[in-house]
Amino acid sequence: MVSQTLLSIVWREMLRQPWQTWLSVVGIMLGVMVIVAVDLANQSARQAFLFSAEALTGKATHQIVSISNRGIPESFYRELRLNRGMRSSAPIVTSRVESGSEILQLVGVDPLAETPFRRFGAALESTRLAEFMTQSRAAILSRITAARLGLSTGDLLNLSIGGIPIDVRIVATLAGDNASALEGLLLVDISTAQELTHRNGTLDRIDLQLETEQADQLAASLPPGLRLEIPATRTRVMAEMIEAFQTNLAAMSLLAMVVGAFLIYNTMTFSVLRRMRLFGTLRLLGVTRRTLFYLVLFEAGLLAVAGTIAGLLAGIVTAQYLVHLVTRTINDLYFVLTVTHLMIEPLILFKGAAVGLGVTLLASLAPALDAAAATPIHALQRSRLEHRVRRDSRWLALLGLMLLTAGLLLTRPTAGGLSAGFTGLFLIIGGYSLMVPLAVNLFSHLTHRLPGSSALLTRLALRGITANLSRTGLAVAALCVAVAATLGVSIMITSFRATVSEWLDYTLRGDIYVSAADSGSSSVLDPAVRLRIHSLDIVAETSGGRRLEAMSDHGPVAMLALDRASGSHRGFRFAEPPVGEVWSGFDRGELILISEPYAFRQHMKTGDMLELQTPNGAVTMRVGGIFFDYGSDRGLITLSHSLYQRLWEDGGFSTIGVFLRPGVTTTEAIGKLHKLFGDASLSLRIRANRDIREQSLAVFDRTFAITQVLRLLAIGVAFVGVLSTLMALQLERTREQAILRAMGATRGQLSRLTILQTGIMGLYAGALSLPLGWLMSEVLIEVINRRSFGWSIASQLPFTAVAEALVLACVSALLAGLYPAWRMGQVPAALALREE
Amino acid sequence: MNGSRWCVVLLLIVVCGCDSPSPTSEGIPIGEALGEGNSEGFARATEVRTFRFPRDHGPHPAFRNEWWYITGNLKSREGRRFGFQATFFRSGLRPSVAPSPSAWRTNQIWMAHAALTDLKRVVHLSDERFARQGAGLAGAAVGPVRVWLENWQLEQAQGERRWQLQLPAEDFELDLTLEQSAPIVLQGNQGLSQKSATPGNASYYYSIPRMQVSGRITQGDREHAVTGLAWFDREWSTSALSTDQEGWDWFSLHIRDGRNLMFYRLRTKGGGNDPNSGGSVSDGSGLVQTLGPESLSLTPLRYWTSEGRHYPIEWRLQLQGEPSPWIVKAILEDQEMALSVHYWEGAVDVIDERSSNLLGSGYLEMTGYQ
Repeated sequence: MVSQTLLSIVWREMLRQPWQTWLSVVGIMLGVMVIVAVDLANQSARQAFLFSAEALTGKATHQIVSISNRGIPESFYRELRLNRGMRSSAPIVTSRVESGSEILQLVGVDPLAETPFRRFGAALESTRLAEFMTQSRAAILSRITAARLGLSTGDLLNLSIGGIPIDVRIVATLAGDNASALEGLLLVDISTAQELTHRNGTLDRIDLQLETEQADQLAASLPPGLRLEIPATRTRVMAEMIEAFQTNLAAMSLLAMVVGAFLIYNTMTFSVLRRMRLFGTLRLLGVTRRTLFYLVLFEAGLLAVAGTIAGLLAGIVTAQYLVHLVTRTINDLYFVLTVTHLMIEPLILFKGAAVGLGVTLLASLAPALDAAAATPIHALQRSRLEHRVRRDSRWLALLGLMLLTAGLLLTRPTAGGLSAGFTGLFLIIGGYSLMVPLAVNLFSHLTHRLPGSSALLTRLALRGITANLSRTGLAVAALCVAVAATLGVSIMITSFRATVSEWLDYTLRGDIYVSAADSGSSSVLDPAVRLRIHSLDIVAETSGGRRLEAMSDHGPVAMLALDRASGSHRGFRFAEPPVGEVWSGFDRGELILISEPYAFRQHMKTGDMLELQTPNGAVTMRVGGIFFDYGSDRGLITLSHSLYQRLWEDGGFSTIGVFLRPGVTTTEAIGKLHKLFGDASLSLRIRANRDIREQSLAVFDRTFAITQVLRLLAIGVAFVGVLSTLMALQLERTREQAILRAMGATRGQLSRLTILQTGIMGLYAGALSLPLGWLMSEVLIEVINRRSFGWSIASQLPFTAVAEALVLACVSALLAGLYPAWRMGQVPAALALREE
Repeated sequence: MNGSRWCVVLLLIVVCGCDSPSPTSEGIPIGEALGEGNSEGFARATEVRTFRFPRDHGPHPAFRNEWWYITGNLKSREGRRFGFQATFFRSGLRPSVAPSPSAWRTNQIWMAHAALTDLKRVVHLSDERFARQGAGLAGAAVGPVRVWLENWQLEQAQGERRWQLQLPAEDFELDLTLEQSAPIVLQGNQGLSQKSATPGNASYYYSIPRMQVSGRITQGDREHAVTGLAWFDREWSTSALSTDQEGWDWFSLHIRDGRNLMFYRLRTKGGGNDPNSGGSVSDGSGLVQTLGPESLSLTPLRYWTSEGRHYPIEWRLQLQGEPSPWIVKAILEDQEMALSVHYWEGAVDVIDERSSNLLGSGYLEMTGYQ
């Protein structure tokens, strides 16, 4: 279909414009890289989670857990074994521990009860078992984790458990059937786990192997406060936790790809437009339309293959880095997870390759058709083409407006789910970019009227833009979309951060917060702590909070039992009007409050009823209000501490908010508190309001670090695309400028003309990117935060982000103009003219 | 007998979490695992000691290994024949352990084996349990004497001569009362039983050779009221098989004339008799005769094979001074304990070879066969 000669023409073209070729390949590469990297990182984190969940659960079919989070009395395990003869049962004590920056999961097991569950493979020698069980600080690490921490058998591992530094000795390393499943686990004997976490007498979990009948019987006969659950359910719930987060990352990578696809389309369109004369000539020589069509597609295919291969490789490399960011966020926000192993799923590579090749070929389809449509005469008449483009720009803009409207409808708050949201976003981008050529035309006309635009050079530059609208329209659209994408993401993050920051301001009412240093959920403060704090004369008031995981009819949920101080209620702002007298109802234990994400996930409204499992059976509570909360995307239930105390039979607090008397400084108060508790303050976490705020925002920034990385990659894709478009545009005009040169323009003038023209285009693109960027941020906030997390975000347009967008647009444009400008000065006019 | 070997094997198996049959088939070098370092710090049976009861029915945690071992032959009212075994093994991981606020901290782990031979159904059922001492899961105590692993329990009840065994296993349940009907016999040299030439490679070993048993055996929803005779062995040590020993054959026989015979043959590699083999003959008044390796000759007559292990399940036993040899014959060929450790332990009949008269019954244990 495509003859040898034609192929060699394509090849020569590529070699003649190596910059163009390379930039196209790099553009495709970046797009593929982003998708593959995010997918691989996500997939690896998910796999690691599932493996470790499986390794931790072993062959357990059921688990007994405590409803009250006070743990399971170990006497109940004895009862199971001795009186109920449940042989396939294993006790577990588990906790999150830290070792430097590393977060590990401490898992205490009874090796003699492990046989039916086989979670840790076959690895321990008898001599090691003796050490493991009898030595008070003996621990086992997976071989991979040990290697990563640079530890071998016999070494000490420094841990921080509940803020207290403790060394454990590695007595063995485990290989296991699936080494990565044991990643991040610190295995100890159950007695060691109890000693280290000061939870003597209680267990966190009892794993069981039960037939359905046995399970029903057991569930019916469990003492109050205990619950039988199926590990698979818990794993699913945990997997769902990170799902929204992972969807987001995938969405961000998709955004990068969309921008990438758009730029590839531009590159290919441009390369076709540029060679319309060549195609026209080929047609004159008798080459058929079909052949031209395939020729362009073939050329695109070559670029696609090269870009895709490079993108896959770069994606794998980048994923190694991304997986750390993903894991860190999961550790910050959800649960302990260690992923060091990148799992290279062939399907993901295949998908990346399909996207790279598919998008490039699809994007080349329209240009290929254009090439095929080249008529020998018309193609040679550039002015006709430009005339047509200027005329068509209105129709294009109309079509764009329609697409844009459709997109906006799809992203309305009431419209469908996440996928509808993203479809809408793509329609908005596409529609908007179709409107760009008309806008460029209008801009140029307007700029003409500006004072100072009468200088010859300026006039030439402005005219040049409208006269070459087929090219400049595309280039400005490409730059505009790329800049808008980064602006949109930037506005979204800034708005989100501002919202969280404001929320932290009003939600942290106390001046100082005291909690148990052990961040585990079951860590409760000594009841004396609150009384002693109260006894200080600098303290005006205290509030008390007890955080734990409760079980509702919708599954497990974080719960806060609050004994509020007089000002605590100001820490709550309601997303919709609460029921009347909400706080007195709350204090009387008649109402509970739920957070916005919880209401969103469970489709609940103010006034709805919610069933909670308590050690005294199920109770149904009325929802008095829905409050803003950005602490957890899973949701939070708040109830009064007196109600909690009555139903859960637990009077403990995990956090105490300290309200200081006027005139007392926080630093002074913290000093007094440390003095008050002496050595015991080691096991307490005493933090100023300000510190918690800073730490929370640090976690926030860490969470969005990966988003920032993706944003940078999107900018990279955009920059490459724009560079290639603008450079091609300028290089194409070599002849035109040679004429100017021949007519007496100096080299410097020509260089300035080029720079001026690209600069103006950059300015146009920057200006046009502002509305689009803002639209995109609205959609991202709506789609990502509301539809996947249920968070309300007050959007704001940050000045810095706007300035950044304008600067980015102009700088990219100017940079793109530099090389052509330099070249322009180098080429002697005669040589440039000899093209004829 | 030399149960220390089992306990080491047990450790490996428990921890490996494998129920793959034979430890030897996995090539675990037992001698290696039993390095000297392992027994360091534990007490050794080096000299004759004074036994005091009931104190010595209780645990001796200074020694690494210890067991409570009951085997017996029973008959139901309808004449249905049963054999049973109930064993509690204690193994010290370390001579001592630091005090801990955690009830789970321990240096002791426990294994228990139970078996039932039902001759009418022609089955041999067996079961095992593991547990750590601590958190009330397993242990041994005196006052009253009690040994338990979860819900398996042996305790002294209503006086020092009566014992109660409650053992709900997977496929059967034993609920038996055992009444001591012969004096305690101190085996070896006044209870010091030398296992090899190495000093300290010995155990403290005593038996209650004859106990009258009555009680119930439950299989599914069927219950059998049973009576019969049992043998109770107690042994503790920190010793191991020496490198040239590969296993043992242990006989405990109740002869109808009132004699109780115990003999263990330590086998050297290649099948020879170890000079440290020995035993005893006792009767209703106590120890009658200590048996040395030459006091008794044993000839295997018939073998039964399980997965390549050839167990001699019929023997000719010639006791010095006895007019006629005895044939000791398994009442059921397959009485192999196919648990995490494989060995053969089962009910036997004792028959006069010349007259073919039934002389008595007992238990035979064979270990180390490959």
